[in-house]
Amino acid sequence: MMQKLLGLIGGALAGLLVAGTAASAHPHVFVTMKSEVVYAPDGSVTGIRHAWSFDDMFSSYSTQGLESKEKGVFTREELAPLAEVNVTSLKEYDFFTYAKADGKKVDLADPAGGAYWLEYKDSVLTLNFTLPLKKPVKAKDFSFEIYDPSYFVDFGLAEKEPVTLAHAPTGCTLSFKGPKDTAAPSAKLGESFFNNPANADNWGAQFANKIAVKCP
Amino acid sequence: MRGRVFVVGGLTLVGMLLVAGILDGAYAQFGAPRPPAAQVPDTGIAGWIIAKQAEFYRAMSGTIRAAKTDGSAVWTLLGLSFAYGIFHAAGPGHGKAVISSYLVANEETWRRGIALSFTSAILQAITAVVVVGIAAILLGATASTMNTGVKWIEIISYALIALLGARLLWVKGRGFVAALRSQRSTPATGTPAVAAPAHHDHAAHDHSHHGHAHHSHAHDEKPHVHGPGCEHDHDHEHASAWGHAHGPEPQELAGPGGWRRGLTAIVAVGLRPCSGAILVLVFALAQGLFWAGVAATFVMALGTAITVAIIATLAVGAKSLARKIAGGRSGYGMLAMRGVEVLASVVVLVFGVALLAGYMVSERMVGF
Repeated sequence: MMQKLLGLIGGALAGLLVAGTAASAHPHVFVTMKSEVVYAPDGSVTGIRHAWSFDDMFSSYSTQGLESKEKGVFTREELAPLAEVNVTSLKEYDFFTYAKADGKKVDLADPAGGAYWLEYKDSVLTLNFTLPLKKPVKAKDFSFEIYDPSYFVDFGLAEKEPVTLAHAPTGCTLSFKGPKDTAAPSAKLGESFFNNPANADNWGAQFANKIAVKCP
Repeated sequence: MRGRVFVVGGLTLVGMLLVAGILDGAYAQFGAPRPPAAQVPDTGIAGWIIAKQAEFYRAMSGTIRAAKTDGSAVWTLLGLSFAYGIFHAAGPGHGKAVISSYLVANEETWRRGIALSFTSAILQAITAVVVVGIAAILLGATASTMNTGVKWIEIISYALIALLGARLLWVKGRGFVAALRSQRSTPATGTPAVAAPAHHDHAAHDHSHHGHAHHSHAHDEKPHVHGPGCEHDHDHEHASAWGHAHGPEPQELAGPGGWRRGLTAIVAVGLRPCSGAILVLVFALAQGLFWAGVAATFVMALGTAITVAIIATLAVGAKSLARKIAGGRSGYGMLAMRGVEVLASVVVLVFGVALLAGYMVSERMVGF
């Protein structure tokens, strides 16, 4: 009896804690992404070029209070300080980009000054930036995932040509899938949400966009 | 009791489904752009909740835009906001855990739980409107300035949660120790809990004499309710006399002490504005429809309050169920109930500290 009661209580409290731990499980920013894998002439991957378009609410929030010559129109120069803030904060989150070459983690460097900028078009803000590989790598199997572990930012692949290859060696094939295409993670989703606090930190991985390039 | 809990849970789900269905119709009706299907699996309760709230959120910007030319779109916006509030709060955050733990730690009623949920949600809406109103409209501040402002509010809010937890733990911890002592001195004999032996244990009394002048200070953690006459007396901490607890007196909810008792909890939870509300407000402002954003924010808070209130009610229900089970065994049962309160206090404290330390992110502010 007593044990049952204590079990009940323990369960309830654990539930409360879990509910709090998975505390960022709702997106507030929606990114529609396009990515390009950049190759050197020798066939090694040198970097990943991203173009992330933010949803209109976030775009509007980001540009709030920014000075511009023409109302509602922002030039690249006017957006430069904001782009810097974006890139600086994104460093904290490893640019939400997790790359692997032949199964091994690949280190990405921060975008160099001038290698990132913001564009404002049709009330949508797009952040362009290139993440160079710290060491260019030749790999049969180069892949990367894009997701926010805390799922504050929701990433979705653009409808048209979400991923492209720049100067890739001939014979390389590209494949990608968004979270929607991933085979039924729903059962896992529910369970990890309610039962597994350990997973909460990486909760967003379930919404990953997976991109892979296989080269001969 | 358990039956009632399930009924409430079932009704919530049905309500959510209904709202979702009505809104699906509303898109078509008002010609608002249908949001792209959210990128989440479409089964599983958690996934479904997230998908729905993302859907409502994304549809909001479209309706605000539409409202510029078509006034009727405002109704769609309000409907969306309400649904978003309900679903959004169903995800973690929004003080559900803190409020629920607070209610469990204290000998609180479900009515008070509902009152706390609504007041804190409305306060959240007010903070959001005030922040955006002052920062964006009066000062023309940029997003990063607003982020900084919200961060400070956040820190204060988390610190308050930690303080609330520490205070609860102090009071409840002493209550637990007192119950433990009385348990040791009088082994369980099967007497009803009402005749709690520790009633005269002086360790359990907290004669806070300054309570005469500022008695509201001491009321926060009072574990149970007396008639109003008692409030003028010194503040007894009848830590182990939980058999005294009974339903709320109307004057207890309305009286000055009654409201102030939960004030710390309300402020701790309600101070931090919801990121979603801030985004909607700024977006509405940019569209020249700030008032629509304000209306949406308050309707959103209403939705949030409903969800939080339901969860708070479940928490209170679970406790009274536990109390009923424990009621059969005077000594150990009481000890267990005291233990529950201590644990719930610990939860509040842990939450506050974890949030403050940045170990736990309640809801990231739009930080990049």
